[in-house]
Amino acid sequence: MNNEYIIEMLNITKEFPGIRANDNVTLQLKKGEIHALLGENGAGKSTLMSILFGLYQPTSGIIKKNGVEVKINNPNDANALNIGMVHQHFKLVECFTVLENIILGVEPTAAGPFLSTKDARAKVMDLSQKYGLSVNPDALISDITVGMQQRTEILKMLYRDNDILIFDEPTAVLTPQEIEELMKIMKNLAKEGKSILFITHKLNEIMEVSDRCTILRKGKYMGTVDIANTNKEELSRLMVGRDVKFEVDKDEAKPKESVLKIKNMTVPSKVHKNNAVKNVSFNVRAGEIVCIAGIDGNGQTEFVHALTGLEKMSEGHIEFKGVDISHSSIRERSKSGMSHIPEDRHKHGLVLDYTLEQNMVLQRYWEPQFQKAGFIKNGAVRDYALKLIDQYDVRSGQGPVTTVRSMSGGNQQKAIIAREIDKDPDLLVAVQPTRGLDVGAIEYIHKQLVAQRDKGKAVLLVSLELEEVMNVSDRILVMYEGELVGQLDPKQITVQELGLYMAGAKRDEVPAEV
Amino acid sequence: MLLLIKYTLLYGIVLMLVALGGMFSERSGVINLALEGIMSVGALAGVLTLCILPQGMAPGLVVLISIVVSAVAGLVYSLLLGFSAITLKADQTIGGTALNMMATALAVVIVKVFNGSASAKLNYSNNAFLIDIPVGDDKLTINVFLFIGLIILLLAFLFLYKTKWGLRLRSCGEHPQAADSVGINVYRWRYIGVMFSGLLGGIGGFAYVIPSVSTWNFEVGVTGFGFLALAVMIFGQWKPINIFGAAMFFAVFKSLANIADSTFLAGLGLSKNVYDMMPFIASMIILVLFSKNSRAPKAEGIPYDKGKR
Amino acid sequence: MSNTTTMKSAAPKNSISRKSGLISATNSILSSIVCIIIGLLVGFIILVCINAEHAGEGFMTILIGGFNNINAHARNISKEIAEAAPLIMTGLSVAFAYKTGLFNIGAAGQYSVGALGALYFALVLHMPWYICILAAMLCGAVWGAIPGLLKAFFNVNEVITSIMFNWIALYGVNELLKNNVLGKMYESTKNKTYVVRTTSAGSAIPNMGLDNIFSKSTTIAIFIAIIVAIIMYIIINKTTFGYELKACGHNKDAAKYAGINEKRSIILSMVIAGALAGLGAALFYLSGVGEWNPNDSTACPAIGFNGISVALLAVCNPIGCVFSALLISHITVGGSCLATAYYQPEIADIIIGVIIYLCAFAMLFKMLIGKVVKVKSTSDANADPQIELHEPDSDKEAEKEDEE
Repeated sequence: MNNEYIIEMLNITKEFPGIRANDNVTLQLKKGEIHALLGENGAGKSTLMSILFGLYQPTSGIIKKNGVEVKINNPNDANALNIGMVHQHFKLVECFTVLENIILGVEPTAAGPFLSTKDARAKVMDLSQKYGLSVNPDALISDITVGMQQRTEILKMLYRDNDILIFDEPTAVLTPQEIEELMKIMKNLAKEGKSILFITHKLNEIMEVSDRCTILRKGKYMGTVDIANTNKEELSRLMVGRDVKFEVDKDEAKPKESVLKIKNMTVPSKVHKNNAVKNVSFNVRAGEIVCIAGIDGNGQTEFVHALTGLEKMSEGHIEFKGVDISHSSIRERSKSGMSHIPEDRHKHGLVLDYTLEQNMVLQRYWEPQFQKAGFIKNGAVRDYALKLIDQYDVRSGQGPVTTVRSMSGGNQQKAIIAREIDKDPDLLVAVQPTRGLDVGAIEYIHKQLVAQRDKGKAVLLVSLELEEVMNVSDRILVMYEGELVGQLDPKQITVQELGLYMAGAKRDEVPAEV
Repeated sequence: MLLLIKYTLLYGIVLMLVALGGMFSERSGVINLALEGIMSVGALAGVLTLCILPQGMAPGLVVLISIVVSAVAGLVYSLLLGFSAITLKADQTIGGTALNMMATALAVVIVKVFNGSASAKLNYSNNAFLIDIPVGDDKLTINVFLFIGLIILLLAFLFLYKTKWGLRLRSCGEHPQAADSVGINVYRWRYIGVMFSGLLGGIGGFAYVIPSVSTWNFEVGVTGFGFLALAVMIFGQWKPINIFGAAMFFAVFKSLANIADSTFLAGLGLSKNVYDMMPFIASMIILVLFSKNSRAPKAEGIPYDKGKR
Repeated sequence: MSNTTTMKSAAPKNSISRKSGLISATNSILSSIVCIIIGLLVGFIILVCINAEHAGEGFMTILIGGFNNINAHARNISKEIAEAAPLIMTGLSVAFAYKTGLFNIGAAGQYSVGALGALYFALVLHMPWYICILAAMLCGAVWGAIPGLLKAFFNVNEVITSIMFNWIALYGVNELLKNNVLGKMYESTKNKTYVVRTTSAGSAIPNMGLDNIFSKSTTIAIFIAIIVAIIMYIIINKTTFGYELKACGHNKDAAKYAGINEKRSIILSMVIAGALAGLGAALFYLSGVGEWNPNDSTACPAIGFNGISVALLAVCNPIGCVFSALLISHITVGGSCLATAYYQPEIADIIIGVIIYLCAFAMLFKMLIGKVVKVKSTSDANADPQIELHEPDSDKEAEKEDEE
């Protein structure tokens, strides 16, 4: 039977208790095409792909390969159907070598169970040459770059002779240059007859690389379009359901005196022997949003931790509102007017098993307002929480006594933002404040950051999202391998240029004072 | 001196066997705090077998059967840990502690029922397990577990590093999601890891009780040896060869208590309690020194839940 | 996540928290009861295996516990109450540390060192009983502090440390007592330490007339234990200190982020846990429930280890510890009343072991019971369908968010 589609997912519905993650979704993948799957965070893309990869079973609907219905009960079944997947969070064992990771699960053996890697090594080298995926098969995963790790994941699929390749948000962790490289590899793979499913929420990438695009919104199927006959605006309308402004509304910044002065900060790394942050100096003025841009893992986390007191620096000074706080405790810094929206809301930002109201006073429970002689004033805490919930529109099942773990990510983040902004800080340190949120929540948070700035407060934003960097900030500092390599004006540079700085291909002297 | 070597080898092999067991379990991702209990159960099963087997049986057969029984008993008991920690995803520390407490009580009740009296002691003959090697005028007594232990050490090394099974087992302890995504059944491999620990823990318990004395009071369990084995495993950084070295190191301390009365140490006037304390104090110091750069399997102690990714 | 239902400030302030709190407490109690019933069933099966003929009678003996022979003499019930007091304390010790995310398996060692302190101040220094109690608490606190310090500064797992310190404590205390290193405490003819009540009457915890009803070893210890349990409940649930400790227990990183000194919390938590275990030893030895036998160097005091059972059965609720300690003491005394011709008293230990083993996955029971309760409450609470609609999917949503 001659069939145009290599994989068809027809009328797929997937229900979790109380929620319908996929609602009658259809996706048809042609042989040799690059097919994008577009949707916001939480739109059901990952669920759909997990169904195709055998991690979940659909509640209803069928999957066909080459026109024949198939059942995919686990990743082994998917593999047998030659379906492979590069997960957003790589599934690589850090203390194994590249080669060990590639052969894991399909290990070649010589006698009985004993490993024999000679042929496997040859095959991996062949594949890496053929598709331009250079790796060192004997390097440990923990020692190689994110880009190399991704190549390992791709080789894992190719080694298994997969011809349907799923890429789940593959560009989130790459530099603009690495992204270009990946696009080339993907086109190459398609040319060799591989069929590619490309999950993303980034419109530019879809326009550049894919042939067709299927759009999901809140679990529902919005349609499939030919990229040749569409544009970014139409795609974003389909994705979000309304027109989206890509620009953030804001006036010219009116910076005043310096609030934060950092001099020669050096922070040792916990994972390797080098310093994570090297001799960083800059200042932040009241009434401006300064953004630290860079690729994940270039010292931003350590920098913020040293700034807020979570980690110690080995050298340097921090001056905040004219006071040296280099050795102050976390609480002292917080008391003196520094707020911190942490990178990882589950790790640092919230005690997930505490109630919403308990989390609202996480940094202030000790204030006279909330305690007397060591006893917590429950009434005052409740009133305060209700006020914040109301003011910042934090939604939850049971109001102030909701366990935070049960709240949606967007509302968890809103709770943190409410808590941090309500402290009326002179400096707001916001680290990836919009990670994993939908467009509505992102717009809301950006508005809050700009409002802080307009109130005359200093805002230090750390972001990996290029669009956010370009749209929200008044001044960009680029961090590369722990050093500041450029100070840029968002109105005067292009994304490509910014990318060169982020990749370390270009650098200038950064003045310590503005 | 020969006495010191004898006891060092004896205890070293026991510690190594049990620590290797713990290693397999932890490498698959399950913290096995129940080693102490597993040892008791293995010792009980082995000793009971010795008591039950007919007198005239060939010594070799007696040795073989009793060791196999102790291993199987340890394995079965370890399944209780597997069931709670893997299938039910319960807290591994609490489950292990419960099994330790249960093991001693269970052993006492069974021995008392077997004896038909209120005594929890069993008498047995350990001659079949011992081999004398003449050294000059003196002799060095070693036991069969030395050979068994060395063979198991070799097998453990080959299994872990040279076979596809070892690769799979290790991947489950490091990154179970990765293992699952390439079709490795994490639950199954964790059960295998735990069962190995039961097997080796059972033999280890038997090997602890048998060669040194010919009567054992089951009220005392295995006097904290299972926990020392855990310290040995950490000191050995979850690696077979290192574990062997660490076990021998600890065994020297443990042996001091046994030879205290009969050697030059008697002159120091320290009591047995002090020597008994030594291996524990030594392990404390070593834990403090080595915990900073510990290479524990990344996913150990975390129940694997297929639904969550 | 726009299908999240809105439920802002509309609900009345207090009723919400009270209702959800009540449901979760009920679930905890139900799940503990399930553990107990299964544990007892296993015990019954063992009785049947050993001697089927007398199994029913033996099982009743365990069930009746301290009330065996209550008409003839009050010995058993006295023992049950007297042993419950120290058990409550070791239970509180484990429960308190658990709130800070620490598993204090070292209560047995802290208990041993506490016993040494109490006995030294009583038998050698002849101090009044309350001073002896304080001394025991101090000793226990020091012994608890060491694993706490090692955890806080060297990140050594407190479980392994505590176990090692149990053995070090046992050997050390035996050594000091047996050789009368600190003073005359060991009565070699009886293989035990001297009886506190006869050697130093003022060091024994007062009876306040309880000895007229029960036996001499029934003192006000049980009331002390209950009062301490209530104090612990208040500290954990009503104070900023409790807030800090629980924050550390739930999420160490978030606690640090909030400016809480998590090292200090860990150490303080272990210090208090140690003091509680030490107090338990004081309540045992100063009441004269028994004397220390320094020749027994093979196992740590059972009361220390049974504290783990007490705490887990009580889901680490201090008030719950009082009841679970009474229950475990009840079963233990019941076991000791078994006719030794047919059964072994250690059967009670097996039952307790089974109960903790089940407690390890009590969360599972709790969830199952929770589902049943929830289904029921949904059917009769249609007044506010929005909330009910939201609840079941909320967890899934948070999870999904993580995946993305």
